[in-house]
Amino acid sequence: MTAETEKRELPLGVGRITKGWILFIGFSVVVLAFGIYAYSVQFTQGEIATGMRDLGTMGGATWGLYITMAIYFVGVSFAGITVAAFIRLTAQAYLKPLARMAEVLTVVALILGALSIMADLGQPIRGIVNLFMYARPQSPFFGTVTLVLTGYLYASVVYLYLDGRRDAGILARVPSRLRWFHRLWAAGYKDTPKEKERHKRTNFWMSVAVIPLLVIAHSTLGFVFGLQVGRPGWYSALQAPAFVILAGISGLGHLIIFAAIVRTRLNQRKRLNMDVFSWMGKFMLALLLIYVYFLIVDHLTSTFTAREEELRVFNAVLWGEYAWIYWLSVATLAIPLLILARQFFAKKWNIGWLVVSGFLVNVAAIGKRYLIVVPSQTYGGLLPYAVGSYSPTWVEYGTIIGIFALGAILFGIFAKTFPIMHLQEKHEGGA
Amino acid sequence: MRSLRGSTALIIVALGMVLMAVSFFLLGAPIGFPPSGVEHSNPRVPFAPAFFILGVIIVFLAPVLYELYPGER
Repeated sequence: MTAETEKRELPLGVGRITKGWILFIGFSVVVLAFGIYAYSVQFTQGEIATGMRDLGTMGGATWGLYITMAIYFVGVSFAGITVAAFIRLTAQAYLKPLARMAEVLTVVALILGALSIMADLGQPIRGIVNLFMYARPQSPFFGTVTLVLTGYLYASVVYLYLDGRRDAGILARVPSRLRWFHRLWAAGYKDTPKEKERHKRTNFWMSVAVIPLLVIAHSTLGFVFGLQVGRPGWYSALQAPAFVILAGISGLGHLIIFAAIVRTRLNQRKRLNMDVFSWMGKFMLALLLIYVYFLIVDHLTSTFTAREEELRVFNAVLWGEYAWIYWLSVATLAIPLLILARQFFAKKWNIGWLVVSGFLVNVAAIGKRYLIVVPSQTYGGLLPYAVGSYSPTWVEYGTIIGIFALGAILFGIFAKTFPIMHLQEKHEGGA
Repeated sequence: MRSLRGSTALIIVALGMVLMAVSFFLLGAPIGFPPSGVEHSNPRVPFAPAFFILGVIIVFLAPVLYELYPGER
């Protein structure tokens, strides 16, 4: 075997297919197949297969689990690109190992968010065509389609692509089965001083451009609810900022979990050290405190001499049909808050507890998104209709589980084709 | 003096921004009152949102072009 054709091992587990990985992907494919089957039932039978019904006359909710998860996924994407941009702008070298993970998280979460919206549409193709043809600039939906699902996703892909060029250029020097892919990604990148300088400049300006885009995009999503004056429970100035903050919390939770997995599976204890995890913990603690403040202010404002319709939604959420979801969400916000505060004051961070916090805040985020979407539709009508109800069916649960599985597959495949963290100097001569 | 690479990227950003502004303010539904009226609901040109998206895409194409622009490495 000549030196040129000899296959060498790539860094960070790239191209190394393990039994564990095959099992993980195999399981995810089975779950995805179930999700596709669930969606096929909905596609052939129509939305009658879901728990969604018209508001008012049919006593239901037209937005249910799919929209809840769409908001959740788009929220998760927020922290990814924010963290990546923050690392670039502040040149925090010790956080650099998080950047690639964060970028992939953003792209994958946005794809899953878009699919959740597609699943919500009875006629997805008609929905897409009409939105591109007729969406109204003044409507927050316009911003959701143009900024979140296309502009933001596209910008994130560009960001990930450009950021990965240097590493692709380094990997392209190594003979491997994936060399063609790394060459394609590198697109002639040779890591010369001029290219390095340009690369640094581009990344900086991309970070500058992406941050306002994502704040506008996430606020727009909040406006979809917050601007609906005729819907008690939704109409609030705090919807958009609270969306952004909870988005940050759930995304950081994911990032902590992914970083912990990468640290263990790829034996990256040195690069993904306690400084990195304590930074994420402190960031999440700060966002949690802001969110709790928003939560209290929102409740006080909406109940202080509130209208009857407003109180009806509030009571259903706090003490009625949705109370278990509300209190579960509160508990899964409070527990991580206490865990993080304790670690912060003790100045001692534990990855296990951070992972637990990351998981719990995501349970809270899904719960809170559900409470934003559903109760205002079932309990918040201004017209004299009876109170409605909504329960997701197995079709909706199946489709969403399938979408989660697709995310796992995308993440798993990426980690085996490209380094999930930036390569260090020692990798520059190859693996 | 700015390089051809930099100038091209800036021109592309400007083009994308102009397309976004034109499609939002001139091609999309007119901004006015009452917003629920038909005259303020439909875009003046069909696919105005698609043009806006194209503008966003063009803006973010600029950094790709800036890096991939053939020339001195």
